[in-house]
Amino acid sequence: MSVLEVCNLKVSYSAGGPQILKGIGFEVGSDDFCAVIGPSGAGKSTLIRCINRLVEPTEGDIILFGQSVCPLKSGELRRLRRRIGMIFQEFNLVNRMSVMDNVLSGRLGYTGAFRSFFKAFPKEDIDRALNLLERVGLQDHVDKRADALSGGQRQRVGIARALMQRPEILLLDEPTSALDPKISRDVMGLIRELAAEFKIPVLCNIHDVQLALETCNRIIGMQDGYKKFDGPAKGMRKQDLDEIYAMEVL
Amino acid sequence: MMPTTTAAIPSMPAAKRTWSRYRHPESTVRFAVIMAILAFLGYSVAYLNIDLSRILGAFPRLVEILATRYFPPDMNYVSDADFVRSVLRTLEMSLLGGFFGVVCSIPLAWLAARNITVSKRIAYPFGRFAIMSSRSIHETIWTILFVTVLGFGMLAGTLALTVFCVGFAGKLFSDELEAIDMGPVEAMRSVGANPLQVFQYAVLPQVRVAFTGIAIYTWDVAFRAATVVGFFGGGGMGWYLKRTTQQMESTRVAAILLVIIGLVLLAEVGSGWLRKRIGKMR
Repeated sequence: MSVLEVCNLKVSYSAGGPQILKGIGFEVGSDDFCAVIGPSGAGKSTLIRCINRLVEPTEGDIILFGQSVCPLKSGELRRLRRRIGMIFQEFNLVNRMSVMDNVLSGRLGYTGAFRSFFKAFPKEDIDRALNLLERVGLQDHVDKRADALSGGQRQRVGIARALMQRPEILLLDEPTSALDPKISRDVMGLIRELAAEFKIPVLCNIHDVQLALETCNRIIGMQDGYKKFDGPAKGMRKQDLDEIYAMEVL
Repeated sequence: MMPTTTAAIPSMPAAKRTWSRYRHPESTVRFAVIMAILAFLGYSVAYLNIDLSRILGAFPRLVEILATRYFPPDMNYVSDADFVRSVLRTLEMSLLGGFFGVVCSIPLAWLAARNITVSKRIAYPFGRFAIMSSRSIHETIWTILFVTVLGFGMLAGTLALTVFCVGFAGKLFSDELEAIDMGPVEAMRSVGANPLQVFQYAVLPQVRVAFTGIAIYTWDVAFRAATVVGFFGGGGMGWYLKRTTQQMESTRVAAILLVIIGLVLLAEVGSGWLRKRIGKMR
């Protein structure tokens, strides 16, 4: 069963400007860990950001949990976004807030105005945050400020924040590009383990092909706004990769 | 043996393209603009008939007048209980005006920050307009306006200072908001937080320190403005300044001016020290 369905998606950032996505379509199933690979400028990041409408699609449709994403009004969009976890390349933590507050802020979509104003999160949220921080190995850093952590640790906070939402899909936008190769593997391994445990499908945009082949069960290859490859990671041949990376996009 | 440079040069192809820092339309236009500005300044000096010897002669005269008429300052006048009370009033007005001004300018600055405004079409122009119109009218004119509407006294002065602080702090706040890192904002939007939550959780932590510094600076400037507000009936020590200047009591004017200089210096040193300490809290 597919959780996410993208049909003929086209995006250009300005009316009449260059098209970044030129009609791309695919489906993500409920047990997929799907990687989007391709050269820089292929539109990977734009594609991921369209799904929770951080970028507005120009044409085409995105159907998430059986609901079309494009026509949603701001309130409906917020309710949908609560169900989508997102992990970012630059972690996007609030540096001057504690690790705990950063993780708890993942619950904001479910927290009322009064509670969120006084940062009075319910006990069950705090318990869940502590559990998740322990799962990602940060139990000793709960009260530290986010900017006191190393890159790998910060991304773990990002993972915990996304999982606080009890997401039904995870979007990863280059989660490892700011990390060194060893930490990248640890972080991807952790995400895979947690996604399997909580049964969350993942759509992950990544430029480390080797890491993608190791971690993901499905690969979507993009080039210059088009889909060039779509298939299981195991069946991917060297010539498929060569084709995806054949054209230099400047 | 090392190849010599003279041997290397003949093998190099002759340059096909030339390069110059000065390109025809841009540099000519720049030169013309600078010349036009200089010509205008020269014309203005000639037209206004500015006489250099009169300007230079003004300084000895100023010193002479200060020495003969304004000296010695009448310090008894400024140690009078009523005057000291008016100084306290001035301080109160600057604190109240600064406080309300800062409180009002934070939401306005939020609307007027292009990157995080609630709506680009309605809220953004509204916020910009509110801040700009507060700025565009001088605080003394605000005082005159509020005095005509509300009558003499501290209320008019406090309101004038509030509007002044909205313009002053609002501009600095919105500039600060436009320079934040949008990453956390994006992250909070993507967890489904509403605009108020995004502001509190992703924006405020980034600008808290800068806002505190700006608020203190705003009070400092408001205090300077508060000494003048009374001149136009807004309450505080400015009223004494007006009365003594109109009655030509020069030694008293001198004493009041000395008090103003002293207090403003004190406020500036104090606020500078506080802002430095807060700046280190990043």
